[in-house]
Amino acid sequence: MDFAQFQQAPVSVPTEHHSHGNRWDPYVDNGGTSLAIAGEDFVVVASDTRQSNGYSINSRYSPKAFELSNGSVLATTGYHADALKLVEHIEQRAQLYFHKHDRAMNVSAMAQMLSGILYSKRFFPYYVFPILSGLDAKGKGAVYTYDPVGNMERVNYQAYGSASALVQPFLDSQVGFKNQRNADPSRLLERPQAVKLAIDAFTGATERDIHTGDWLDLFIIDQDGIHQTKRELKHD
Amino acid sequence: MFLTRSEYDRGVNTFSPEGRLFQVEYAIEAIKLGSTAIGIRTSEGVVLAVEKRVTSPLLVADSIEKILEIDTHVACAMSGLTADSRTMIEHARIEAQNHTFNYDEPVPVESVTQSVCDLALRFGESTDGQQSTMSRPFGVALLIAGVDDRGPQLFHTDPSGTFWRYEAKAIGAGSEGAQTELQEQYHRGMSLEEAETLALKVLKQVMEEKLSSTNVQLAKVTEQTGFQIYTKDELEAVIGRL
Repeated sequence: MDFAQFQQAPVSVPTEHHSHGNRWDPYVDNGGTSLAIAGEDFVVVASDTRQSNGYSINSRYSPKAFELSNGSVLATTGYHADALKLVEHIEQRAQLYFHKHDRAMNVSAMAQMLSGILYSKRFFPYYVFPILSGLDAKGKGAVYTYDPVGNMERVNYQAYGSASALVQPFLDSQVGFKNQRNADPSRLLERPQAVKLAIDAFTGATERDIHTGDWLDLFIIDQDGIHQTKRELKHD
Repeated sequence: MFLTRSEYDRGVNTFSPEGRLFQVEYAIEAIKLGSTAIGIRTSEGVVLAVEKRVTSPLLVADSIEKILEIDTHVACAMSGLTADSRTMIEHARIEAQNHTFNYDEPVPVESVTQSVCDLALRFGESTDGQQSTMSRPFGVALLIAGVDDRGPQLFHTDPSGTFWRYEAKAIGAGSEGAQTELQEQYHRGMSLEEAETLALKVLKQVMEEKLSSTNVQLAKVTEQTGFQIYTKDELEAVIGRL
């Protein structure tokens, strides 16, 4: 028998793009975009619901922003499976905290905890870019952003995900008033403007980014709780 | 004391047929030999006062520490075997620091009290065949004073690992007399200044030695300044009001 044929390299099959050969790669980027804009006494959080893998769409409605038990919202991008597990991880810790201290976590406590959770997996990270939003102890809008290993920063607005390169500069201009004469960069938006900008940002992102689209999950967090609405984005 | 002493007062983990743990009960008795400590809660903060037994004129009174800081917003006064309290305070401090590390906020006073009580119950415990690290119950009672988002609070813990919340509490040798006095004199509308005076006044009544700035220690925990031990001058000012 001619064994030589087995020694040959297999016929190449078109597969998903791999950056490092055939090494075991447990991570996928499921695309999509999330943003949060803080106001004086509210936060607007928005995420599209398309979940893709390369050029394929896995789901047109797979939410990646999650309401948490303490009244905050965690918006994610990155690897969806890790995001789901991260939410479970946070909720379990929040529940333990609730039982131990007989009170719900406030957002700053949860923010610090999330940083710790992410760093505790420093060498096998959750491939997630979380944005944690809620109201702080004084009732002000609070947005905390992270990288996958737990670097944390409190900001007034942030866009993460496949269209972040489109949306973040837009927010820098329209929310942050960056590089504009006679503008106050620390000024916070009023609620209707923040909502309008969030929607416009996603309309624009959906136009140019193939991984963003289908539906928009919109959350407004204020002292009365979380108000969620669903809007349509382009399905193409 | 216990007329029915039997072999059941030997093992720390053995209930007597009447359902008692004698070693724990003896440990609670041990506190009644300790120096008196008093805690009073007011809406402005909590006051802690302790008696220091300066047993010899050659003893350096400043070396007796019976009020200790757990965190900037929690303090603790003790009575009983002072050495045992080191372990408990160390545990409480670690708990407080860990909480701040994990949650970027001060630890709630009740949580740090609970964690100390959890430790108090671990006597006679061991992990698979190893020698148990704590062979007997702690012979110490604590008054844990602190301020958090639920306001000023005072807790009393005992060797059984139980804790209670008090408005005013005395522990140690003079505790019975002191507690009766507190019950008569304490009122909810009390100011911190009134509490300072009451604490020392009651302590003075139950102390064998004459109360002075060298044989008592006074401390407070308030929302504004956190834990503070009174300096000699501050202490003498309060004594002057008696």
